[in-house]
Amino acid sequence: MTVMETQSTDTAGTRRLTTAKAMVEGIAQEMERDPSVVYLGEDVGKYGGIFSSTAGLLDRFGEDRVLDTPISETAFIGLAIGAAVEGMRPIAELMFVDFFGVCMDQIYNHMAKIHYESGGAVKVPMVLTTAVGGGYSDAAQHSQCLWGTFAHLPGMKVVIPSTPHDAKGLIVSAIRDDNPVVYMFHKGVMGLPWMAKNPRATDVVPEEPYEVPIGKARIAREGSDITVVSVSLSVHHALDVADRLAADGGIEAEVVDLRSLKPLDRDAILTSVAKTGRLVVVDEDYLSYGLSGEVVATITDVDPGMLRAPVERVAVPDVPLPYARSLETAVLPTRDRIEEAIHRVVKG
Amino acid sequence: MTDVPFPAVADKGPGSEGVVATWFVRDGDSVVADQLLAEVQVDKVAVEVPAPAAGTIRLLVPEEAVVTQGAVIARIE
Amino acid sequence: MTATEAERALDASVRVELYRTMVLCRAFEDAILREYHADKKPVFDIGAGLVPGEMHLSSGQEPVAAGVCAHLTADDALTATHRPHHLAIAHGADLRKLAAEIFGRETGFGRGRGGHMHLFDPATHFSCSGIIAEGYPPALGQAFAFKRQGTDRIAVAVTGEGAANQGAFHESLNLAALWNLPVVFVVEDNDWGISVPRKTSTAIPSNAERAAGYGMQGVRIEDNDVEAVYEAAARAVARARAGEGPSLIEVHTVRLLGHFEGDAQGYRDDMAGIESRDPIPRYEKTLSDAGLLDDAEASRIREEADAKVEDAITFAKDSPEPDPATASSYVFA
Repeated sequence: MTVMETQSTDTAGTRRLTTAKAMVEGIAQEMERDPSVVYLGEDVGKYGGIFSSTAGLLDRFGEDRVLDTPISETAFIGLAIGAAVEGMRPIAELMFVDFFGVCMDQIYNHMAKIHYESGGAVKVPMVLTTAVGGGYSDAAQHSQCLWGTFAHLPGMKVVIPSTPHDAKGLIVSAIRDDNPVVYMFHKGVMGLPWMAKNPRATDVVPEEPYEVPIGKARIAREGSDITVVSVSLSVHHALDVADRLAADGGIEAEVVDLRSLKPLDRDAILTSVAKTGRLVVVDEDYLSYGLSGEVVATITDVDPGMLRAPVERVAVPDVPLPYARSLETAVLPTRDRIEEAIHRVVKG
Repeated sequence: MTDVPFPAVADKGPGSEGVVATWFVRDGDSVVADQLLAEVQVDKVAVEVPAPAAGTIRLLVPEEAVVTQGAVIARIE
Repeated sequence: MTATEAERALDASVRVELYRTMVLCRAFEDAILREYHADKKPVFDIGAGLVPGEMHLSSGQEPVAAGVCAHLTADDALTATHRPHHLAIAHGADLRKLAAEIFGRETGFGRGRGGHMHLFDPATHFSCSGIIAEGYPPALGQAFAFKRQGTDRIAVAVTGEGAANQGAFHESLNLAALWNLPVVFVVEDNDWGISVPRKTSTAIPSNAERAAGYGMQGVRIEDNDVEAVYEAAARAVARARAGEGPSLIEVHTVRLLGHFEGDAQGYRDDMAGIESRDPIPRYEKTLSDAGLLDDAEASRIREEADAKVEDAITFAKDSPEPDPATASSYVFA
């Protein structure tokens, strides 16, 4: 069952936030409500998070609740696991998802498996936040998305907000969830003043705490000619292209924002493609063995006959992200690539 | 009527230039005192601009336009 | 520095209890050894039988478990390794659930989903992991939670000497000292990281020396001496409970068996006369010489232990296997 939400209104005076500030507000409201919520990571204190994920939290809650850690991901992520096992709801931040290599054992062999290995006897109600994404020349070790890798491994939920509204609702849901939740925020959707941003990075956000359900996609734009399934920053690019195509080319694209990869809202994908018969997947993670293939398999596992044309996957090729802008732009799933793919699938 | 100036940012000199990175309100919106109006940036330092008063806001500069510290970026009527 | 016999004022009851704990641990390992190999003949097939998979037995390392766990309650946390049984038992884990989990039954600690290296007992805050050194960081978190909850509960984190060269060990020592967490780090130095002797894995002779490098006290116990372990643990546990932070105890112990069952140990050059290093007959003699234990009492203790263990094994064998249709259950809460 998909959810259509009106996320943006033109009501004068309605309060608007960037994605980063919305995320912070969600965390702050949960920290008010539940004293066992603490946030730990590198530079999350005075600095407020390298990508503003904790701006203002130290001033409001103090060093006892917002903890700067040494550069010891294995130790502090493991610490969060042990604290969660003993009844707290910690949030640990992995500064860049690209750093998972130094601490993945605690994440996938411990955080994600303890509940199962214990036959349900032990819960790990923690959140692992992490910054993802490229497009600003941070090169191969600081620009990856890697959500396919995390969603691939059993035992952890994976959520990826694209809008300010969902950034707040999903962090609230993640904190309240009794399972380990990996919350991946794209640097390009945060609305940071020092990085190029999409206007959709700022939008109306309700002031009260609220949850966005984990495992439910959002129809970001309704359409009948083609389904574009995406996540994170690529949702904004897809919407920009959809607006252009509707105005110029008379193509009405339906844009599906997955929001969660684990659990994955397969029903939303199937319902949309059953309607349009055409599919483009836009995925800023690597092409092979990942999310885009999983979306296609969702259709072909059930009814390949639904498709009136082959699927196009607009993803990062199996290449380390290059530094030079011309090269990086060539590999990212840009608006031009999305538009060309839509044209091919509509014609096909 | 109340002016909303581009704030002095950290220890940047009085003539320093910056930008309005993000407007959180639209031209003509009703605002309340202390409501978050904008995030401005000088070099690498970002600062939030709260509304000094309640009223209807008129935006005087667009996002990304270069502004000198102290210049009026909006007015609240 | 270990106290001499004359200086030790350990109660007779404490000493006999240490012996009893070690005997129970050994009785369990002996039974698992028997059960593990019983149906893997004529040729060893690791995946065959009622207890398939890898098996890492702790025979010889009982002094660590007995000496440390004597100072713990069920409210204290303990994280252990791929060689966990003696620590689980000494810390008070239910023998039936322990055995059932090793036999992969629905009545086991993990409903058969974890197995011998992944034991979780919430009642005693016991857990173990098959990844070397990775049990240290979660112990920090348990200590962190206990401290914030205003208790004097502590976490004990146990690894081997090989693990002391893994990143998680070093990160954990630093962070525990930095944040003054109520942790006792224990290193079981049984000389062998599988087939690699400590001399060729570790640049310094004692991990107690490393403790100082991380801002905490460290002590090394020689000779697998259960009473010296008991005394060192008393100090370390008291220190942690008093809010004085973490410390490290390394115990030079002995691995009487292979790294895993099926390990031919051709690499091992210390097997000649290894029985003489068995800590249980040695301590039995110590207590006997002190007039605290005679043959009859020793036999009775062993019989009691065997009875408990056989009850647990029988319970395990009589328990149902998990239903294959539930293989995906318990991934998420």
